[in-house]
Amino acid sequence: MSAGRAHDRMVGMLLIDQLVKRHGTRTVLDHVGFEAHPGRVTAFLGANGAGKSSTLRILLGLDRPDGGTALVGGRPYRSLRDPLRTVGSMLDGSGAHRARTARDHLAWLARSNGIDRRRVGEVLDQVGLASSARVRVGRLSLGMGQRLGLAAALLGEPQALVLDEPVNGLDPEGIRWMRGLLRDQAAAGGTVLLSSHLMSEVADVADDLVVIAGGRIVAAGTLAELTAGYDRLEDAFFALTSGDGGARR
Amino acid sequence: MSVTGLLAAELRKTVTLPAAWAGIGVAVLGSIALTVLNAVTTRSAIDAGTPERVANTSAFEAAFAAMPLGTVGAVVLGVVMISSEYAANAADAGGGRQITATLTAMPRRMSLLAAKVTVLVLLVIAVAAVTLPTTVGIANAVIGGAATETVTPEQALLRGLGGALYWALTGLIAAAVTLLTRSGLIAPIVLIANNSVVSVSLLLTNLTPLAHWLPDLAGRRLFAGMDTVDGGLAAGPGALVMAAWTVVFLIVAAVVFRRRDA
Amino acid sequence: MGTRGLAAELDKLRTLPAIGFAIVGAVLTGVVIAGALVASAAAAGTPASVVEIVLAAVPFVQVPIIVLGVLPAGQEYDGRQIATTLVAMPDRARALAGKTMAATAVVGLGTALSVGAALTTGVIAAGVAEVTLTSATAPWRLAGAVGYLTIIGLLAHVVAVALRQLVPALVATLALIVVISPLSAGLTEHARWLPDRAASQLYADTDALLTTATGPLGALAWIAAIGTLAAVRFIRLDP
Repeated sequence: MSAGRAHDRMVGMLLIDQLVKRHGTRTVLDHVGFEAHPGRVTAFLGANGAGKSSTLRILLGLDRPDGGTALVGGRPYRSLRDPLRTVGSMLDGSGAHRARTARDHLAWLARSNGIDRRRVGEVLDQVGLASSARVRVGRLSLGMGQRLGLAAALLGEPQALVLDEPVNGLDPEGIRWMRGLLRDQAAAGGTVLLSSHLMSEVADVADDLVVIAGGRIVAAGTLAELTAGYDRLEDAFFALTSGDGGARR
Repeated sequence: MSVTGLLAAELRKTVTLPAAWAGIGVAVLGSIALTVLNAVTTRSAIDAGTPERVANTSAFEAAFAAMPLGTVGAVVLGVVMISSEYAANAADAGGGRQITATLTAMPRRMSLLAAKVTVLVLLVIAVAAVTLPTTVGIANAVIGGAATETVTPEQALLRGLGGALYWALTGLIAAAVTLLTRSGLIAPIVLIANNSVVSVSLLLTNLTPLAHWLPDLAGRRLFAGMDTVDGGLAAGPGALVMAAWTVVFLIVAAVVFRRRDA
Repeated sequence: MGTRGLAAELDKLRTLPAIGFAIVGAVLTGVVIAGALVASAAAAGTPASVVEIVLAAVPFVQVPIIVLGVLPAGQEYDGRQIATTLVAMPDRARALAGKTMAATAVVGLGTALSVGAALTTGVIAAGVAEVTLTSATAPWRLAGAVGYLTIIGLLAHVVAVALRQLVPALVATLALIVVISPLSAGLTEHARWLPDRAASQLYADTDALLTTATGPLGALAWIAAIGTLAAVRFIRLDP
């Protein structure tokens, strides 16, 4: 079944190429490009406001780039049929309306992509929200809202996961659980792209690193390559992002 | 925090909200637009020799007819001052609401509420002080000497002040209702709908004269001359009844606000 | 996907408490206003027909219908749900079509229930209060009232999509329909071209220029114009 596996690899591959995004006269993304491969956890590192979320929003078809392309398995996200079955994503917490219950939120999402209703209960169990299924989203804590966002990402059993700051607000047990989840996804041949500014978290889970500063990619490679010559990832990060003055404007 | 510091903080918070400017814009620009429309219609009716086509040729009345838009503006101001505190920002679960920051910066809730009330009243007065002279000026410029003014300057001043008072009281009720419900939906629905021509309160007066004691109808005579309802309270007692309603709403909201978790 | 989008939007509306409150509000408004109108007619001793009473309740019932029309699109912008919706349904035109169909369905439901409630209340209350009933003039106007209210609900929907905010959309639509429209009707005959005035020819048929056919067309032109602007914004702009 090598042809089928090759197909799976294609489907899960994330390709960002020469992305440019401007807000007025401010250049938020300046020819950003990198890849995230199936079977690997790719960490997208950068300071607050460096352009991580802008890149992910374009990848997910929310914002339009002023130049360049972002492709999921060779296709723009907006052309995907039932995208939640291909890419599971989480931006900015739960993304649910405050007045709806956690279960109802997942139920309409499942319906919109033709996902079996059974998955709603399964992902609620998986993220540890089964007992809060009927709680209104506005009453969930920050960490629980984060878990609901993850449940939505896992709903369609996607080949790729795109997560913006996934460990935000999670307790130590939750962070450990998240690490296992990401490793399992990659081990099963899935693609994982996560953005983060937490170096210690990333060092424990990532295979590949992409570092962005001031809207430009300043480094990309495997964890071993980028940290070579430094004691810790954090030292490498600061050397990469501050050493090159041209990265900031 | 000092009283002036508190007031300055609340004023700054309000005037940096785009929605607050939408409310101010509705009151000022909307009233000007309606006044221009009204005054031009009146002028053309006079020039055509058919002044009976319009209800009134007075320039003051032409400007004053736009008063209900000021009420809409006051309701919007009252609502957004409170609802902005409870609107969720980026993180939709958990404590991502401004009220948390507000209450940690200003933990004395009654002083906070008093500051909000003061800022709201000041803003409404400022809006009235801009809107009323501007619209009356425009109406006078358009209609000018073509018609004789039937409203004396004393009456005009009194009704202008009465109208501004009505705006302020309605805005305060809107703020109190929004604080009680923590939702920006209820107050605009009830107050804008009910202060219009299709007033439920007005319909209720057909059933019971007690309906004249409802806040909007009690204060209606503050506009005297416009949409005058037969019966009901005179302007003075009516204003007192409406003010009493406002105080009751504010006290109930304050008690709930004080006891409730943020 | 087209039907899935509609089904997902209907799921959203079904599980949003505000929709339930607005529908209950629409029914209660129909009941209370029809009851009050019958009681006033009985008190004044004026003969009335049940149809007239229901039609007189329409200007009040339109307030909860506006709320129902604003909510399907407005809820998306009350928080960050819009991003979730567009990630799940990235084809903007299809997402908007599904949402508009769902909005039409919920507005139609609210309209039918509130007009039905007003009619039932009118019949029962007229019997109880012993109002002199005149023979019903033009019962087809009841269907016109349903059509009028549906148009008002759709107008609220396109305003919400265009403004991309909940409370401003609600305030703008309410201010236009229940404040500016009646005010300007007293000032100038051109007010007949306002969407609600034009659409009201469906059940009121009082205008000298617009007819039962051209009036609603004028209102639909408003909806088409605002809807086009709204659709372009929805499809082209970043959320």
